[in-house]
Amino acid sequence: MTTAHAEAAGTLPHEPEKATLEGRNKVLAFWLFLGGESVLFGTLFATFLALRNQTNEGPSANELFHLPLVAAATFLLLVSSLTSVFAIQAMHRNKPALLRNWLLITVFLGLGFLGLEIYEFSEYIRHEKFGMTTSAFSSAFYTLVGFHGAHVAFGILWISVLIGQLARKGLTVITAPKVYVSAMYWHFIDVVWVFIFTVVYLLGKVG
Amino acid sequence: MATEQHSPSDGAVKHRHRQEGPQRHIVVFVLSVVLTLIAFAAVAAGGVNATFAVILLLVMAVFQVILQMGFWMHLKDKGHLLPIIFMLGGFFIAGTCIVMALYWVWWD
Repeated sequence: MTTAHAEAAGTLPHEPEKATLEGRNKVLAFWLFLGGESVLFGTLFATFLALRNQTNEGPSANELFHLPLVAAATFLLLVSSLTSVFAIQAMHRNKPALLRNWLLITVFLGLGFLGLEIYEFSEYIRHEKFGMTTSAFSSAFYTLVGFHGAHVAFGILWISVLIGQLARKGLTVITAPKVYVSAMYWHFIDVVWVFIFTVVYLLGKVG
Repeated sequence: MATEQHSPSDGAVKHRHRQEGPQRHIVVFVLSVVLTLIAFAAVAAGGVNATFAVILLLVMAVFQVILQMGFWMHLKDKGHLLPIIFMLGGFFIAGTCIVMALYWVWWD
């Protein structure tokens, strides 16, 4: 069904996020934004890699990190990336209720990830005496991982607001690009986390 | 680019054909889990040569990122040349920053 036919028939075109020029522009512009985000995280990774052994007699990465906690957080975020794929597939099949459910599951998994990260940071600060200003390593760690956590928090807020907007305005060629772009953002957050668990946690254990 | 897919000439058949099922996304998910497990297991097991471990971990991460960006973010699909250029541009500058930090800051 072409876009014009779909609109005339009152149904949604197959890929509603690309049905309007504005929608296509939003997706393209968001890719440019993600390219910029890559640079931003690249600079934080660079800082971390340069300073990761400057522990200033504070805890080192090897002493600090517990792999089971990191593995659990990794799994939560990976599953949430899959559920946002399912959300977009539900959108492409024009099933708003299913779309909402998958978005809700994505948000809850994101909250679980954030909860684990908050627990992890509070353990480091309270029991390990590993604060923001303990060492160059700790500053670089909290800045990089915390910045990613802030992205997760923003994503949760964003998708939650979209769930509300979908409930009020329905799934249209206006709301669909917003959902699609938020899913791109969520995938990107998971991609960044792949590098974080590899470079920060696993390489920290290897030494 | 994207307009090609929505020109009036490519009608219902092509669009219905593009409707993909969840199978391949689940395959990507399973592969991601396997790559993640290999990385975690290599570190948790210990005793792995450090240089080898670093290379293994980075290769696992890069594979997983290519899989997820290709399939979940649709970079493998037609009409994604500009997004690929944007991302490669971003990765190139990010990589330059990392090389700078590792080899310039600690140059002696």
